[in-house]
Amino acid sequence: MRASRGEKLFYMINYVLLSLIALSCIVPLMNVIALSLSDANAIMSGKVSLLPVGWTLYSFESLFKGTPILNAFWNSVEITIIGTILSLVVTIMAAYPLSRRQFYARSFFTMAMVFTMIFSGGLIPTYLVVAKLGLVNSYYALWLPGLASAYNVLIMRTYFSNIPYELDEAARIDGCGELRILFNIMLPLSKPVLATIALFYGVGFWNAFMSVMIYINDTAKYNMTVLVQNMIKSTSMVQDFSDPDMIANLTPDGIRAAAVIVMVIPILLVYPFLQKYFVKGVMLGSIKG
Amino acid sequence: MDNTSVVPLHQKEREATRRLRKRRFKSNLPLLIMFTPVVLYFVIFKYVPMGGLIIAFKDYNFYDGVLNSPWVGLHYFEQLFQDPRTLEIIRNTFVLSLLSIVFGFPVPIILAIMLNEVRNMMFKRTVQTIVYMPHFLSWVIIAMMIMTMFSLENGLINKFVELFFGEPYPFMYNNGSWIAVFISSGIWKDMGFNAIIFLAALTTIDPSLYEAASMDGASKGKQIFHITLPGIRSTIILLLILSMGRVMEVGFDQVYMLQNSNVNEIADVISTYIYRTGLQGAQFSLTTAMGMFESLVAFVLVVGANYIARKYNEGLW
Repeated sequence: MRASRGEKLFYMINYVLLSLIALSCIVPLMNVIALSLSDANAIMSGKVSLLPVGWTLYSFESLFKGTPILNAFWNSVEITIIGTILSLVVTIMAAYPLSRRQFYARSFFTMAMVFTMIFSGGLIPTYLVVAKLGLVNSYYALWLPGLASAYNVLIMRTYFSNIPYELDEAARIDGCGELRILFNIMLPLSKPVLATIALFYGVGFWNAFMSVMIYINDTAKYNMTVLVQNMIKSTSMVQDFSDPDMIANLTPDGIRAAAVIVMVIPILLVYPFLQKYFVKGVMLGSIKG
Repeated sequence: MDNTSVVPLHQKEREATRRLRKRRFKSNLPLLIMFTPVVLYFVIFKYVPMGGLIIAFKDYNFYDGVLNSPWVGLHYFEQLFQDPRTLEIIRNTFVLSLLSIVFGFPVPIILAIMLNEVRNMMFKRTVQTIVYMPHFLSWVIIAMMIMTMFSLENGLINKFVELFFGEPYPFMYNNGSWIAVFISSGIWKDMGFNAIIFLAALTTIDPSLYEAASMDGASKGKQIFHITLPGIRSTIILLLILSMGRVMEVGFDQVYMLQNSNVNEIADVISTYIYRTGLQGAQFSLTTAMGMFESLVAFVLVVGANYIARKYNEGLW
């Protein structure tokens, strides 16, 4: 079918607008990358826009030498990996029974869980519970209160219950118990939803900010988001001024930009691999259930 | 000898149901064991805090704890609704989140329709990959980018402003422009990701409808209004109900990182108030009352929106 003139115009405007939208997502990132790789003079005289001016790695060098960013990086890694595993396991433990037809009181438990999505005790009462359990200043305060989100449990439950019941029955006739069915049939068939939900939890833990501010007092335990936020707020962010050469080449903008790059890189590295999964996962979430 | 023939029928039935029940229990046992920690989690970290809301009606102190602190009735709620400062915070929360929904809700729908109209698959996939990405970046990163872009000295955007108007504009220090930056940064971060769900809904529309409409001479605009939008109606309503729950909620990270002392009178919201006054200022009862007000309004809005949607057979439950 040939496009009419009006349609051609429509398509052209559409392409231009979409390109502009995509550009709006790239330009800020390019700006930060350029800042992180430019020398101090160029940054201060405002010559840096989208490409680095006067290539240098000084900002990164002073970031790693003068700030505890490396320590914070490993803290972020620890928070993310353990938190994601814990959350994923508990989400499976919640979703699998709720997807079984023979499970007692499954509609009651589902309702009780959905209710937590639309009403909550809020920050202070949750804080009091966490404090009462003695979890303040430990990473368990980050992992436990957000262990399983009802939303993710519902997505996974829907996915499990869409796996044909015949498979389940056949396995049962062959003498498989519930756990064998879960491990040998359900989980291998659910890789897309597991990857999606792991991604959601993982990104949540990697970007954790408020929970760290609330529950972690020990600065050595800060993750990158809180450390970088503190660096952005304060003016003197580099503690180690032993190298005079370095001071001359230092600007707060450059170091901030370098810190942001260190935070973004891990996400950019895993993002392309997970994209197909999260698109699928969000679509799963759109199924009413 | 056949034993079963002498057993009365109802007894046989009872025997069968007993066995069935036993089998059901046997297959339920591992599920129950698996589910117990989940129940514990939801009770301890979701339902116990809901019970903890009673401190909004008490004068909470550390020594007496949640249960033994003295009752004060609605004292803290009265205080909240009489103090002009807290009223201002409630108003700010409403304004920012309402503007976010009003301007932010249609954007992913429009973006999804635009992407759906792209015929070049390479282009479509590239744009999708790029616009989904900001959703995964933390607000620390995005706030830093925003402050760099809008910076008075050498900010990329202010360089353009300077080029056209002669001098840079203090975007982050004026109430109106701060709100605009706040709202649009929120929209920008999540528009791509929120478009995914609408893109999924769009794939369910029968393509022959477009062909027929095009044959009958319907323009692109007409096709979008009469085929595309009605085709994804139930998804739109579903998400609108869910977004109602966020009317009282302005994400802490975003506000906390973008706000500055110049715009405090419009940028201070419930979540930052609870953090500052509640946790840092240790006014637990007062801020719990504020949190409870927030939760209740959100709850009523979600239930109300669902009630209305149900009248049109589009309810969530």
